[in-house]
Amino acid sequence: MRAKLDATRVLLRIAFRNLVASRVRTVIIGLIVLVGALIVVVGSSMMDSIDRGMRTSIQGSLGGQLQVYQSTSEGKLELYGGIRGESLLDPIPDFARVKEVLSKVPNVKMIVPMGIDQALVATGNAFDVTLAKLRDDVRRLQANARDEQGLRGLEARQAHVRRLIALLSEELTQARVLVDPNGRDASMRRAQRADLDRAAAPEFWVEFDRDRLAGLEFLENKVAPLAMDTGFTFIRYVGTDVEAFMRAFDLAEVAEGKPIPPGQRGILLGRQYAEEWLKLKNARRLDQIKDKRDRFHLRIAEEEELQRWVKDTRSRAREILIQLDPLQAAEAARRLRPALGAPAGEELPALLARLFDLRDDNFDAHYAIFYDRLAPLLRLYQISVGDVITIKAPGKTGAFNAVNVKVYGFIQFKGIEKSGIAGTTSVMDLQSFRDLYGYVTSDKAVELAKIRAQMGATAVSREDAEAALFGGDGAGPLVETIRAGAIDEKSLLAGVGEKRKAALAEQTRAYTQEEIDQGVALNAAILLHDPARIRESLAEVQAAADAAGLKLKVVDWEAASGMVGQFVLLLRGILIFAVIIFFGVALVIINNAMVMAALARVKEVGTMRAIGAQRRFVVAMLLVEVITVSVVFGLAGAALGGGVVAIIRATGGIPATSDLLFFLFSGPALLPRIGGTSVVASLVLVLGVAIASALYPAWIAMRVTPVEAMSTED
Amino acid sequence: MLLVDLQVAARNLTRHTRRNLFLGAALASVTGLLVLLGALTAGIEGSMMESATTLMTGDVNVGGFFKVTSGSAAPLVSGYPKVLAVTRAAVPELDYFTVRGRGWAKAVSDSASMDLVLGGVDIANEPAVRRVLQPIGGSLDELAKPNTMLLFQGQADRLKVGVGDVITLSAPTERGVNNTVDIRIAVVVRNVGIMSAFSAFIQADTLRGLYGLSPEATGAIHLFLKDRDQSNLVAARLREEFEKQGWRVMEPDPQPYYMKLFQTVPSEDWTGQKLDVTTWEDELGQFKQFIWGIKVFTGLLVFILMVVIVIGILNTLAIAIRERTREIGTLRAIGMQRRKVLWLFMLESGLLGLFGCVFGALAASALAAGLNAAAIPVPEAVQLFLSQEHLTFQLKAGAAVSDVLLLTLVTVGASLGPALRAARLKPITAMHHIG
Repeated sequence: MRAKLDATRVLLRIAFRNLVASRVRTVIIGLIVLVGALIVVVGSSMMDSIDRGMRTSIQGSLGGQLQVYQSTSEGKLELYGGIRGESLLDPIPDFARVKEVLSKVPNVKMIVPMGIDQALVATGNAFDVTLAKLRDDVRRLQANARDEQGLRGLEARQAHVRRLIALLSEELTQARVLVDPNGRDASMRRAQRADLDRAAAPEFWVEFDRDRLAGLEFLENKVAPLAMDTGFTFIRYVGTDVEAFMRAFDLAEVAEGKPIPPGQRGILLGRQYAEEWLKLKNARRLDQIKDKRDRFHLRIAEEEELQRWVKDTRSRAREILIQLDPLQAAEAARRLRPALGAPAGEELPALLARLFDLRDDNFDAHYAIFYDRLAPLLRLYQISVGDVITIKAPGKTGAFNAVNVKVYGFIQFKGIEKSGIAGTTSVMDLQSFRDLYGYVTSDKAVELAKIRAQMGATAVSREDAEAALFGGDGAGPLVETIRAGAIDEKSLLAGVGEKRKAALAEQTRAYTQEEIDQGVALNAAILLHDPARIRESLAEVQAAADAAGLKLKVVDWEAASGMVGQFVLLLRGILIFAVIIFFGVALVIINNAMVMAALARVKEVGTMRAIGAQRRFVVAMLLVEVITVSVVFGLAGAALGGGVVAIIRATGGIPATSDLLFFLFSGPALLPRIGGTSVVASLVLVLGVAIASALYPAWIAMRVTPVEAMSTED
Repeated sequence: MLLVDLQVAARNLTRHTRRNLFLGAALASVTGLLVLLGALTAGIEGSMMESATTLMTGDVNVGGFFKVTSGSAAPLVSGYPKVLAVTRAAVPELDYFTVRGRGWAKAVSDSASMDLVLGGVDIANEPAVRRVLQPIGGSLDELAKPNTMLLFQGQADRLKVGVGDVITLSAPTERGVNNTVDIRIAVVVRNVGIMSAFSAFIQADTLRGLYGLSPEATGAIHLFLKDRDQSNLVAARLREEFEKQGWRVMEPDPQPYYMKLFQTVPSEDWTGQKLDVTTWEDELGQFKQFIWGIKVFTGLLVFILMVVIVIGILNTLAIAIRERTREIGTLRAIGMQRRKVLWLFMLESGLLGLFGCVFGALAASALAAGLNAAAIPVPEAVQLFLSQEHLTFQLKAGAAVSDVLLLTLVTVGASLGPALRAARLKPITAMHHIG
């Protein structure tokens, strides 16, 4: 025992003496080890943060831990869509049965039915909104002809509408260069022109005061549809049991507005989506400029992109002007003048030009003025909370369907508000999704499958298709089919008008849990009590489904995330590749250095062997050298890595400068966090590589015989 | 003389086989990596450019937006023959041009639907389309007939249609109603990278019909120059020329047209026609960024590796010099100049570098050729970025040679220090040196 201890002491002493003696070599090996540890620590903590962000975003906003879908589907489930569109899934015919069977699996906490798709949304434009206000005023006067607010409003609103009509008339005249005069819808265009001219004429407005409702009807039905300002946008939604969804994904919160009442139809718009696509462009640009200035400390004076954005905002004053009626415009001017220090009597257009003349020194002040004084008068989002919007999509049967749903609010997810994944999808009730999708109940699904089989490749005429697909039982509030032939715009518009009342009644109807559950879903998210046991739960859920004869495929959230998940895997692959290459080369270099060291010490080793040192001792000596260097420099490298991570965190993280990075970082910046595992992993890796590279030189040293060594010249 | 020097250097190298083999292998692997990554980047760039210039952009594009109302926008050039005449007069560098309609529609078949970016083409005047696209069913000439379109294989698979089948295109117009047209698949062609996932071609007049446009309206004129590098110059000249001739021209904004269409133009305060002259770099902004990202990553990786290699060289040579101190002393004593010693050491490492690097480059080339032949399919997420469906490396002899030279130079550079130290040795101390 004592001898062993002595031997160890001697061993350590020799090893340290050697390290100190050949300082250059020690530093070289040390530096390589240090850089290696640094790369592993920084790289893996960044990768972990990306992973964590993705996991929180995906699991917490849409994915859950597991997903199930019909195993007969030809496509794979991709929660975020593939490059050629949404996943092609066969519907789960009876969700209630799936819920019943899978709920019995021990670790399953909740099952949320889902149907994800994209659709077109008719948003309405300034014209529609103004007409709606005009109608309110007319209604108020209908109730009380002397209502002062109504009278004042009416006058301002009328002026507003007349200005809009004049603008529209002017603008439509320009379109003539573009349009084929004898092309499609030529006669319709002529009729439209006549309607517009009629509305622009003073006589119409004299008539309007006599019969306001008739006048309104004409404006709404004939003139409003001519307003060409962007009347639609795209939306990606998940149709779900909203109540269950909000309970399952507890990060979800309604940011503005209120939750959808239990069982009722309705939609919560994704907050991120609304900011990006629905917000008034100028407000959005101001937000973006503020973000760049505050977080990245960019300056308008220096940054070309910011200058372009400022120019953008200046060229968009009209979008604000057109929203305001004369009364509001006067109010806006009254509010802006003192704040901007403008001379009395300066008109709104000039004031807006002044407001949007943004420089670094006035940006913050003007930003505040915009939001505090002007924004309350404006419709900041194309779709406001409380609006009823029309969503149109081709059902999977090929026919275009439409539903009207009320917007109850904006949805966002706590902690991941800025994630590119969470908050871009809107949440809609399951019934509306089924209507859009073309299925209502499980019976209907069977019936439809039969019809589809019968139809085969032969086209079904318009009328037949409608009757056959929807049985005329009023299943969907707004159903238009265009299977064959060109669509007739007029009949579509007329259809919207007639069915609006029925649809409104449907909106307030509350569905029971049974009605929600019994029907189709495309996929379902499963949330587990213990997310750590995801592997075995997956197998259990699959087994339960198979045993019950359900044709279901169970996948984990990573697989369900499709391209998103693949992309994270790719990044991880790149990091691992880089680390492997690095350590491969490091192995060669350290090996080389140690071989040199061993060869240089052949004589010394020989002498030691001659005076009785065992081979084991010689090998141990070399290994102790390498291990000491590795541990010391590895720790230093890890510490340095920790320092780098801390510096990155202290300076606000790695900024997401492009949309891709924004998405990847699940937010505006990546804040890497150092994990114990990454430090340990880096040390183990470094040590392993160092020991591996010392084995060969150790073997060389071991082979040295005393005689050989003493007689070597070199 | 040089021959003798080379011989000496080579002898020294071969005498220390083990050490030099290791160092050479390290050099070879770094060179190989550099060549391989370079070939991959070139492959990505190549296939990206090929599909992009076929599908969505020329070297320079004369496109534009027509705003009927200031709240709307359509990607249109009205009265394009006049625009074309001006363009042809102003661009002598022009090789050829194509006139493309621009549109967007949902394609609906019996079993599925998908969004397509439509290019309205006049197939008779589309040399690039003919060169790049390989039909797997039907014929490109069929695309000259009205109400026909071209789909890429992936799209045909998704829609489950083949040549001769009819699908419905449904294009939303500004008022939120959809114009539709039934259209026959004239030809299905092989996929060409990521952009072929969502773009398709339709006969030009059919596209006009879908939107009710006059025959003088089109989406954009794609110009292909004899020399792509002239793009920026030509674009600037065209902007000036159009303004001089009375057109309104949009400020340069490096964004693809669909981003402008969706995000910026509809809310700008103007109506009527404006022309927008862009270059291929503007239209491919994000892809360029990605290529840049790969290059930075490659550069960083290679830089770190080079640092490690340099450390290795310093180490190896330092030891070699220590080992050969007596030899150097002797050489100096019998009259060898310092400069010669320096030269010999540098020659030695230069030779080592050259052999290692050439070997690495050759091995990498062989590997790349092998991988190309194996046609390894790329997963979808990666396709999105590599813009290719099979892993493709594009080997360029010039690039490989410059990689080899670069690394050899680094090797020689790294040996400068130790070699200088060797040259500075005094004969007398060197000869007395032990060990």
